[in-house]
Amino acid sequence: MISQVETLPVACRQVGVRYGRTQAVEEATFQVEPGQVYALLGRNGSGKTSLVRCLLGHQKPTAGRVELYGQDVWSARQALMHRVGVVAEEPDAPPLMTARQLVRFCGGLYPSWDQAGVDERLDRFRIPLDLPFGRLSRGQKGQVALALALGPEPDLLVLDDPTLGLDAVARREVYDELLGELAERGTTVFITTHDLAGIEGLADRIGILHQGRLLVDASLEDLKARHRKVSWAPSQAVAPTDLAPFAPLWSRTGSLGGEAILTQGDPSQLPGLQVHPLSLEELFVALVGEAEVAS
Amino acid sequence: MSILAVTRREWTGRRNVLLLGLGYSVLQLIGLSFESDMKIAYEKSIFMSVGVGIGLAWVIALLFGATMVSRDLEERRFGFFLNQPLHAAQIFLGKVLAGLGLALLAGLLASVPALLLGGMWRQFLLKDAGSILGIGLAGSLFLLLLFHAVSIQVRSRSLWLLLDLVTWTAFFAGVRWLSQRLMGAWAFQDLVHLWLGLLAGGTLGLGIAGYLQVAQGRADLQRGHRWVSVTLALTAGLLLLAGWVDTAWVLKHRPPVAWTSQPGNRSR
Repeated sequence: MISQVETLPVACRQVGVRYGRTQAVEEATFQVEPGQVYALLGRNGSGKTSLVRCLLGHQKPTAGRVELYGQDVWSARQALMHRVGVVAEEPDAPPLMTARQLVRFCGGLYPSWDQAGVDERLDRFRIPLDLPFGRLSRGQKGQVALALALGPEPDLLVLDDPTLGLDAVARREVYDELLGELAERGTTVFITTHDLAGIEGLADRIGILHQGRLLVDASLEDLKARHRKVSWAPSQAVAPTDLAPFAPLWSRTGSLGGEAILTQGDPSQLPGLQVHPLSLEELFVALVGEAEVAS
Repeated sequence: MSILAVTRREWTGRRNVLLLGLGYSVLQLIGLSFESDMKIAYEKSIFMSVGVGIGLAWVIALLFGATMVSRDLEERRFGFFLNQPLHAAQIFLGKVLAGLGLALLAGLLASVPALLLGGMWRQFLLKDAGSILGIGLAGSLFLLLLFHAVSIQVRSRSLWLLLDLVTWTAFFAGVRWLSQRLMGAWAFQDLVHLWLGLLAGGTLGLGIAGYLQVAQGRADLQRGHRWVSVTLALTAGLLLLAGWVDTAWVLKHRPPVAWTSQPGNRSR
């Protein structure tokens, strides 16, 4: 019988990464369930890329262990890469190879390769197949990388900020592609991104990394259920003491009224407060801001 | 097959260096057409082209070695290989093969046309080709691996460079001392054997260090440097130990050099 641990696409246990005296990642522990979309968020320099490098077996963590499908990724990288598709933060394909040559190169390395799917995607993205990779635009490079990553029909897709530097249309195309992949094959996705609005409709679970520490590891649904955004008009006199029972994570008062993110209780009990849907971006800013104040 | 895929990928970006070999060949053939004494000109051009062919192969190997992994690492492009289901040995050997192939082919392009034109192809193919190719190939392999290791050491800018400096200094000092002892005993043939042995052992050590840099260092330049430094330090130590044992054995079993000179001999 295969245990649940063995089938977990990603399991990070107490992972630490240190560069000299700098602790880039500290005791990060989380796991990704099959078919889940896990979004790892964090400010620049929070340790996301270091964690992704450990997750792909590019770098050995200084502490802890990263497992993909129950196998230590550092020691079983080659075998595991048959099941993993990767889109790197900086498109890293050889700049002199054309998209056509890249497809031929990657296609030859996998036992099964969805050539028709790759061709169809490159065609849909309108990629010039005979132009060297280095001469493609930033968006086109990302699209080629995504088409190549989906070529071996991976069980796990690791995307390191795939929409970085992309315009709105190219970003939409990336997310549409992911949605299609999820709907069709139920691929597990691990993604790091700064595009919080874009990922909000896709992510099942959120991890927030701040100064190397995993601040949050929860389902997006839970996070939104636990946090409420409220606002009040200038005419309403809402004092900080009024909000105290609701454990505000963040609050602001100005000439246009005030707003706050509350973490417990039912704020509708308080007269004059309006409850609003909370976006992932607002939640992220509040959580990271709170952590920065605390530190 | 995966090794060849990596080799092919390396060729795609660098095959233009073959033009150097071809260019030299064409220049040489043009130069020959202006010569009046063709026999002497051909002989000269044959020596020149073989020399240039080997030299070109060595320079290409050296440049290839200095960039084949370290530049990818510095430009953060090595992840492309690591994200594919490729073993570290496949990545490393694929790159080494590409470098050797390019060096060899450029060397051949530079030298073969002049050899053929000079009517030396029979002699070349039947007699000297093996040793010339061997020298070209062995030198290329050594330089490629050496400059791969040096480029990792230089580009990582880590403190392990201190160990490297100690290793290189100790190694050359040790080789100099052993060489002096053999020269002092007029054991020149044994000296050549010692150097060839050190070169072969050094090439093997550099190969192992290069492989470990890819397998254990992966995308981490500093970690790769650590593996290179430690492997080379061990290799240097082992080679010096073997060299010392060999030298001691040679000196022990060699008859002492007679320095005595007799007046009668001088007047003869």
